[in-house]
Amino acid sequence: MSDLLRAPAEIKYAEELDWLESVDDGPKPFAWRLSPKMVRLFVLGSERADGLDREISQKWFGDRSFVERSIVTLASDRGLLLIGDPGTGKSWLAELLAAAICRNSTLVVQGTAGTTEDHIKYSWNVSMVIAKGQSRESMIPSPIMTAMERGAIGRFEELTRSTSDVQDALISILSEKYISVPELDSDNIVFAKPGFSVIATANSRDRGVNDLSSALKRRFNFVRIPVVTNKKAEAEIVRFRTEELLRRHQIELDVPPTLLDVLLRSFADLRASAASAGSDDEKLESALSTAEQIGVLEDAILHSNFFGERALTAHTLASSLVGSLARRAPEDLAILNKYLHGVVEPRSKEEGGSWPEFLEGGRDAIATLS
Amino acid sequence: MSEVSEVSAVNDRIDVAEGAFGALRTQLREAATAFADGPDALEGILLGIVDDVDRAVREPLEIFPVCHHSPASALAMARRLREKQPKVVYLELCEDMAPLLSELRNCRLPVAVQAFATEVAGFPADWAPLSVVAPITEASAEYQAIAYALDTPGVELVLVDRSSDHVFQWQPRESSADEPADPDAPPAEEEAALHGDAVGVEIGDLRPRFAELEEHLLRHGRVRHWSEWWHQYVELPLGDSDHDTYRQVMLLIGSLFRRLAPGDPHRVRVDEDRERYMWTRMRQHLAATGVDPADCLYVCGAFHAASRVAEFGVHGADTFEISPPSGSTWQHGLIPSSHASIEAQFGLAAGSVSIAAAEWAKNLKRTRVRPFRLTGQAGTKKAATPERTAAPAAPAPAAALPDRLSGFLRRPPVLDSLDEAELLGWSVEIVRAARRNGYLASTADAIAVFETSILLAGMRDRAKPTPYDFQDAAITCIEKDTVPGRRDVRRLVEIMMGGDRIGQVGYDALPPLARDVHDRLAPLNLKLQQRGVRRALLDIAGRPELERCSDVLWMLSYLMPRGAARPIMGERRLGERPIQESWDLALGTHQRALIELGYEGVSVEQVLEQRLRRTAHDPRATAATVLQAVEDATLYLRSRRLADELGTRALEVLATERSVDGAPDVLRRVRRLLAYYRTTEPVLPAWIESFVKTGYAHYCTLLPTAFTDEDATVPQVAAMLGFLFSMESLALSLGCDRHQLELALAQSHPEELAKVALLWAAQVHLGRLSRADLRARCDELLRNPLVVPAYPQYLSGFLHALEPVPALTDFVVEAVSKAFAQLPDPVLLPWLPTLISTLRSGGAELAPLLIREAGRIFPGRLAALDAWVPPWRAEREAVRPALSAGGSGGNGGSGGVALLAAHPATCDAVARLLGCDEPWETVAAAPRGVALLERHPETAVALEALLTTP
Repeated sequence: MSDLLRAPAEIKYAEELDWLESVDDGPKPFAWRLSPKMVRLFVLGSERADGLDREISQKWFGDRSFVERSIVTLASDRGLLLIGDPGTGKSWLAELLAAAICRNSTLVVQGTAGTTEDHIKYSWNVSMVIAKGQSRESMIPSPIMTAMERGAIGRFEELTRSTSDVQDALISILSEKYISVPELDSDNIVFAKPGFSVIATANSRDRGVNDLSSALKRRFNFVRIPVVTNKKAEAEIVRFRTEELLRRHQIELDVPPTLLDVLLRSFADLRASAASAGSDDEKLESALSTAEQIGVLEDAILHSNFFGERALTAHTLASSLVGSLARRAPEDLAILNKYLHGVVEPRSKEEGGSWPEFLEGGRDAIATLS
Repeated sequence: MSEVSEVSAVNDRIDVAEGAFGALRTQLREAATAFADGPDALEGILLGIVDDVDRAVREPLEIFPVCHHSPASALAMARRLREKQPKVVYLELCEDMAPLLSELRNCRLPVAVQAFATEVAGFPADWAPLSVVAPITEASAEYQAIAYALDTPGVELVLVDRSSDHVFQWQPRESSADEPADPDAPPAEEEAALHGDAVGVEIGDLRPRFAELEEHLLRHGRVRHWSEWWHQYVELPLGDSDHDTYRQVMLLIGSLFRRLAPGDPHRVRVDEDRERYMWTRMRQHLAATGVDPADCLYVCGAFHAASRVAEFGVHGADTFEISPPSGSTWQHGLIPSSHASIEAQFGLAAGSVSIAAAEWAKNLKRTRVRPFRLTGQAGTKKAATPERTAAPAAPAPAAALPDRLSGFLRRPPVLDSLDEAELLGWSVEIVRAARRNGYLASTADAIAVFETSILLAGMRDRAKPTPYDFQDAAITCIEKDTVPGRRDVRRLVEIMMGGDRIGQVGYDALPPLARDVHDRLAPLNLKLQQRGVRRALLDIAGRPELERCSDVLWMLSYLMPRGAARPIMGERRLGERPIQESWDLALGTHQRALIELGYEGVSVEQVLEQRLRRTAHDPRATAATVLQAVEDATLYLRSRRLADELGTRALEVLATERSVDGAPDVLRRVRRLLAYYRTTEPVLPAWIESFVKTGYAHYCTLLPTAFTDEDATVPQVAAMLGFLFSMESLALSLGCDRHQLELALAQSHPEELAKVALLWAAQVHLGRLSRADLRARCDELLRNPLVVPAYPQYLSGFLHALEPVPALTDFVVEAVSKAFAQLPDPVLLPWLPTLISTLRSGGAELAPLLIREAGRIFPGRLAALDAWVPPWRAEREAVRPALSAGGSGGNGGSGGVALLAAHPATCDAVARLLGCDEPWETVAAAPRGVALLERHPETAVALEALLTTP
């Protein structure tokens, strides 16, 4: 057990990566640590037919072609932009790719409304500048610049949250592959080493806030990651992430498969109702992504572990569901109320099982909140 | 390689002893032992596969296994046909479809052969209409076989698969429900629905029968879907192989899927029955014609080629009995199909059929094989030289049966070498297409697409990017966050790779009805056979001959799905004649619907008549729907005969009806029809007279119950009263009795307040309640604070009463005005929406009445409002002095007399007419009453007698 709360992928899977590197005999583009096929294998896990001596677990769940397209993009000279609803695993995929390709997924710029060009290029250590004047020593390189110098993958999270002029600083980085430092008289250009590329993520819900300029769009290949709607895959993801979580918290708790099914089905129902809703008021504010589902389950597990009977019940699950999804006071609660009485109630009469308890828990939670 | 040649040398030696596949058998047996420790199921499967192949290859009647939409199959077929020149071709296709195949030449492929039955006998009624389609594309082996057989003299084409009727006979009865739709599937496009909900049959359905195997193959092939796997691992390697290899490999695949995964037992049974059926039919044909089996070719799906039923083979058992057809009447025709609809119907990946078509064209160019094509095939270029049958090649020595399987199985997957020029061409073209569709794509993107395709193919272990890799690359590089135009990059690539092709059935292959429609619409001078919407402008006043076109169009708009014929301007109503009309016509797009109409009759009129009759005789028909059918018959067919027949039916339906739900509709329609007949016919049709008579009695009977029944709504009761009152004169003249109505009203004791108001209105109409009394009642209601909250309900009743008693309009205006004036806001305001919605729903008739009346009563200008007194109040004020003056007729009477005296001519004329020739006498100014008394003393005497009697 490492003493980090959350270790980055390259540390967490260091041993696996080392092993893969040792058996990898495929051609590697630039200074990549693994060949593209091995990167794919690292992300999507191995199968018996791959003929490896050990099993590599699957770390990201989704269509194989998304991963392939992403890897290929990084091997070309364009940046990769992962776009999708919140909670679809964009950042996780970016982290895995960076870890597999260059063993460093921490060269991250977080895009916010307050991100400036300095965060992308470089800034100055003011006291050093006063003491020694402007030099490469007194310069603070941004994560992107560091990635260029090392020939690694730089990451830019939530690209569309930062303003357009800041985004456009990426244009020259992505096309000319160097940053010039006009303040210096000599040694004033930082060139990118082979292997440098950028993985950016963007939230499709933020569209229109700070639209990418078409010049920047041209320099990125877009890979759209959809919300997982395939029930089987989703169950797999939720189980995988929950197990990881239980291990991290060292919790001995069973998640009964029936409860998992209740959770998946209720999310599927809510998604269906959101899809048919006419206006924003008629649908939940939440994107109802898989991450949200994991959040609900995590919340319920922690609650039952620390406050409950040390066993996950449908009641807790329901109150956790209501608690996580009810964000706007009248609208979301009304939708959940409608859902409980329109869908869960008849179902609990028909099917029984955990549904009646789930209904009870939901009612209680709504009553508390309203 | 030397090892391989050594092995084959050994093979040849063993072949002599153990048949062609001896070596392979030994090898597989060893493999099975190595993998599964000894003889077991695996060995059974592996050796069984070889047995299957062996058996099929040895069959004296040559079996040609095919797979659907496989260019490799088509190519091998074309080659084989040229080489062998068989005299009889047996084809796995529903046998009843045979006569249609020669019509294929009049069509632009892809089209589908359809068998259609509307009258169903022997099947559950809810299956109707039954429909089976077999789509045919140009890049298919079956088309090659058909074209060869039909265009080569002396060659017979025999369809041997079960008939369309058997398709349904063998379908399980209880669960005909489709499988639940895949939630991840993209929504179907319009082109994908060309087949409607027909059952698809296809030659050579070859696909693993259990999901796990398919999943496994897909995962290890690094492909996304079945079509891609097939393309990659069968299509490409088989592309240039010789006939024996092709045949053995296809048999092997068929047998493999069959042995590994029998799948759903019912499906297996159907498959085996089909094989029995086909072999039985073939043996029957061979026996009847005496053809040598060696001169025949049997074309069937690879799955069926590897059959193990006892009936298999020319010498198979004759134990299968073909069941007789059910009593259903089948019609046959060709309908247009499209690549997209074939993909949708048979669960293929989007674009796969188009890619197969492109592959076929490319293969033809590369291998220089001359394909067969029906002479005069529509939609293709004319061949430069007429098709010349090649001299039959020397029959291949039949003895040697070389083992091609071992070599094929041992060879690594054939990798198509990288065709750089082709890929470059694609990359440039997709960028151009993207630009045309609004994408900001440039040469840089073309380079990126090219590079990415190669990288992707490399990652998926392919030397050459397949069209699917290319599609992925194009999406990666060009698709951004939004789709600027109507099509996204995926679709653009599909279009570029050949795109969807939509077939068209040529004029000559159309059923008589469709031809007739096109003939009759010819005066419009539009190319209606082509797809797309055409605008037709009909100036009927200027060109009266167009009225016949208009008739056809109206019938089509009635019979066909929305959008096939849509009137833009112009309408058809009873008693009106068209002057100008404009139409949006899309008959080419809806060709299937038109062709399916053709199965129902030979002319549109006939089909329409059938439909109307069916509507009228439907067990769920109501008087209103039947009356609508009467109206439609009059409107579209102008057929008095049919209208009379349907009218009689309406009468029957009305007599058995026990609810009043349709009353408003019935009233409206009968009124319309009556008005129409009164203006156009010398006498009313007998049925409508009986209808009015029966309706009068019928509604009189139902009235008391309807008044109290909670389910009967106020508009329904109002409509009943409307029928009774407005048809009264006609009904009475036909012998109805008014007493019946009066009694019915007397029996009515409604509880709902709106209905009470309705009853009052009816009583006023019948004269049993005076308007003054009615007004007094209303005023009383308004004065009573306990009842005031319910007053709006009465008003609603009065509003509906306008329908049966339009004479009450002024009173209703008065009542509403009083309500506005006197009702307290908490009562008035909640009622306003109800008022508005009532007026809107019944608005077309009621609102104009009310508004006209209100316009008459209320002052039109603001200035007049100050001095204005509502007439009801003025009346009351006027009545009082008149009463106090003692007696009615005071002023009015004298005025009338004065007028008479001044203009005696009228009076004289009336008197003459009545036969009264007495001269006109002017009464002197003497007291009038006294003079009258003197002249006619009888009255006074009688009065005296009356008064004096005790």
